Formats: sequence, C-alpha cells, structure tokens
Amino acid sequence: MKIFNSIQLNNSRTGSICQNCAHFQNDPALIEEAYHGLTAMSSGFASVRDKDGFCNYNQLYLSARDSCASFAPRASEFDKEEAG
Amino acid sequence: MTTNKTETENIKQSSGWQEFWSKEDWWAVWLGLGIVILAYIFYLSGSSISWIAVAPAKWSTLSELGGQFSKNGIRYVALLGAFLVLFSVVVSFIGQKPRSFILSFIFLFILSTIIYFAGNWDQSSRYNLEPPLVALVIGLIISNVIGLPRWLDAGFRVEFYIKLGIVLLGATLPFTLIIWAGPVAILQASIVSLVTFFVIFFTARKLGLDQRLAAVLGAGGAVCGVSASIAVAGAVRAKKEHPPIAISLVVFWAIIFIFALPLISRTLHLPTGVAGAWIGTSEFADAAGLAAAQSYGGFAGAHLGISGTADQALASYTLIKVIGRDIWIGIWSFVLALVAVTVWERSETNSKVQVGQIWWRFPKFVIGFLIASVLTTLIVHGHTLADYNKLVKPSLIAPITSLRTWAFTFSFLSIGLTTRFRDLANAGIKPFIAFTVGVIVNVILGYILSVIVFGHYWSSIVTH
Repeated sequence: MKIFNSIQLNNSRTGSICQNCAHFQNDPALIEEAYHGLTAMSSGFASVRDKDGFCNYNQLYLSARDSCASFAPRASEFDKEEAG
Repeated sequence: MTTNKTETENIKQSSGWQEFWSKEDWWAVWLGLGIVILAYIFYLSGSSISWIAVAPAKWSTLSELGGQFSKNGIRYVALLGAFLVLFSVVVSFIGQKPRSFILSFIFLFILSTIIYFAGNWDQSSRYNLEPPLVALVIGLIISNVIGLPRWLDAGFRVEFYIKLGIVLLGATLPFTLIIWAGPVAILQASIVSLVTFFVIFFTARKLGLDQRLAAVLGAGGAVCGVSASIAVAGAVRAKKEHPPIAISLVVFWAIIFIFALPLISRTLHLPTGVAGAWIGTSEFADAAGLAAAQSYGGFAGAHLGISGTADQALASYTLIKVIGRDIWIGIWSFVLALVAVTVWERSETNSKVQVGQIWWRFPKFVIGFLIASVLTTLIVHGHTLADYNKLVKPSLIAPITSLRTWAFTFSFLSIGLTTRFRDLANAGIKPFIAFTVGVIVNVILGYILSVIVFGHYWSSIVTH
C-alpha cells in the first residue's frame, strides 16, 4: 500500500536533506523574529518545533529532515564534496 | 543544481544529544526537577528552601505591606539573584545573549513582585484583581500603548516559564490523581480535539483554503494552539505565510478566552474542578489556559458561591490540557504528514514520513511533570495526613508552590508584554471564519463534556 511505502521507520537520514541545504534556515531566533506573535504563546526553542525551518527556494516552512530535487549543498557540504 | 558556499548562517545543526541543552523543554525539566530534589534534600536535613522561595503574605494596610518589604526584602533580592543565575545559564545554552536577558528579567521580576503583592491584598478579590489577569492586562498595556524596545523581549520567555511552572506543578499533584483522572482527560480531550480539527479543516476547505493551511489552522484550534500550528506546519510542509495566519488567530481567541472563560464560569457558579476542565478543553495555549484556570481558582470560596479549591482548577486544567491534548502533538504531526504525502499534492518535496517525529515533537517538559509527581508521591507516601499538614506541606510543598507561582506570573506577564496586536499578521476573512466556527464548536462541546457529562468527576478530584 502507498501509505506504508511512505513511512520511514529508520530515522537516520543524512546527505541531501534540508538541514545541509543552502536554501534552508532554522535558527530559532530567526524563526521568532520572522513569525511575530510566536513567542507570545509558544517558542522557537520548543521541542514541538523540532529542527523545522524556512526553505527560501520553495518558500516553505518544513522539517530539516526533508529533501527535494533543488538541494544545494551548504559550504561545509560543498567543501566535503570538493575535498572528496 | 546550484551550490552556495556563503549561506552558512542561520543553520542550527544538532545531534540528538544536543536537544538536551538546546531546547527550552529540557531546561524546564532540569531546573524543575533540580528544584524538587534540592527541596527534598533540605527537607531531609530538617530544613527547607522556604527562605529563598519567598512569597507575599496577605496584607490589608500599607504599613503591613511596608513591614513585609523591610522584613523580607533581602529574601526577594536573593530570589532574583537565584533566578538570574539559573535562567542566564539556560539562555546561554540555547544561544541567546545573557546581557539582554538579565536587564529584561530584572524588569520582569520587579513587575511580577508588584503583581504578586497586589494579588495578596485582602481586598483584591473584591475588585477582581486576580494576579494572572492583572499581569496580562498590565503587559498588554505596556506593550501596546506605552511600547518597549525589542531587545527587552529577551527575558519574556512565555513558554519556558510556563513549562517550568508545570513541572513544579507536577510536584504538588499526587501521581495517583494522574493515573485516576488521566484516562478521562484523554477521552474528553480527544473527542473535542478531533471534532474541532475536522470542523476547522473542512470549513477551511469549503471556503477554498489550501489543505496545508487548513491543517495548520485545525491543529491550532484542536491541540495546543500556536505550538501545534507550528509543529504541524513543519510536518506538512506548509507555505511560509501559513503559520503567521494561525498564530494571529490563536493569539486573538486565546486572549479573549483568558477573560471570557473564567467570567462565564463565575456567572454559572461552576465548581473550580469543572471550570478548570472546561478551560483545559477549550483554551488554546498552555500559558493562556493556566492564566484563566489560576484566575478562576482564585474565585473559590463561599463569598462568591463557587465550590472547590484553587488547586482543583489547576489540576483538572493541567490533566486535560497537558495529558489530554499536548502529548499527542507528535501523533497529530505524523498522521498529517502522512496525509500530506499520500493524499495531498506533493510537487515540491520527495521525502518519506519519519516515525521518529512522534518523539522529536513530543513536548518533553511533560516528562518532568510526571517525574516530579512520582517523586513527591513517593516522598509523601507513608506520612499520615497530620504529618503531611504539619511537616511536609510547609517545608516541602509550600516553597515549591511559591516558586511555581513566580514562574506562572513571569509567564502571564510575558504573554502581555510580547503580544503586540499591530505586529500580528492579517489573517484574512476566510481563515478567520474557519477558525471561529471551530472555536464556537469547541467551546460548546467542551462545556457539555466538562459540565454535563463529566461534571461530577471533575468536581470531586482530590489534589492532596
């Protein structure tokens, strides 16, 4: 079934994920600054927010563990690739 | 594919272990349990932390008030110092600037002290000067009429203070109560949450709103307010502009309900335990609901014809809100992420849904709340009621309750100080209609379940 194929039980996900993407920003202070009112009844530093952040390419608010075809490695990832 | 070597800022990379010192939830657990353990060590040695856990006593004249200050002034300074040290450590670890925090917190502490004292004036209930409501109103006036510089926001950590207060609240609730009332709380909250979510979601869809926005709005109204909206937004990959819409609507209705729910409950003379359950079912954010529940607890007494105790309002509220609603946010996020992947259109991303987010998004402060409850239940176990009232309560429970009240007051005041109505995003008429329909259904259903169906249950909960 499609629904089961869409579930990943193994939680380790590395490589071309949003967390390593140049378009992704998830600093809690930045999220709090961008979303006025967030601190009035929640927090950028709360567990429920996990590591979510902004995708400045697709204009989404999404998980750092997400991924897409427009992945662009950040400097550290880029350096690793060049060194490799 | 493009590469970019310069965009390295504003990324928080953290391993699983770093969560323990980078999230406010875990710091609420460490500080809350640390305070409980320290209080127990002092208690075992025949002493108490009550010297530093100072709280105003009832007063009726200005000379009595002055007497309290001159007698206990040094204790308030010591308490401020202790909070400053502990909280500065927290803000340093989570990545904020302690300097801004310290100045801001001193301001917050001074205002909180004034509000705490005002609440202990023996005429305060006559003039409806319930400390949570006073704190909120003062905060709202300062932030919206007078105005404060932005850097002062560093100390107005609503969520952190409320989570710390809830962990300390756990230390004053018997674990047997959580076991006894937990299943009913979960049943009642689940019914209301599911109905509210689907009402908001399908109303939003009927009005032509995007599925993800509908889900973000629905979670905000059904689960735990802004926290639920932001969690579900990340899970379903919402558009950037979706969360602020939900934030505006939740804040708007939550502020109204802080005043409205205690007022209606008072008019209907609801017992404190029943009103607490209703507030827990129908308020949105933890801090907002606690402000309402604590205010209503302050009305308890024969003079207003409201039965029950202040603790019953807090206990039933917390059971419904924390155990019945908050802890399920990970499940909500997982299910909605799965729906987003398998049912809604997915053109931007190609990820699978990770089961781990049920834990990643779990509000970890609940663990501290439960452990604190177990700890004090074990400590109290074996004491007679007379021993409890003579020894345990004044030496152990009362100082923890005092520190809890401080934490809640910081939070209630911070709600007002950080709610700037002109900064909130314009939600738009369609999201407003969808959310408001859900709010109306939520309040009516919450009342029916809290008062008519389970009223006898909530009015008789035992909190000691």
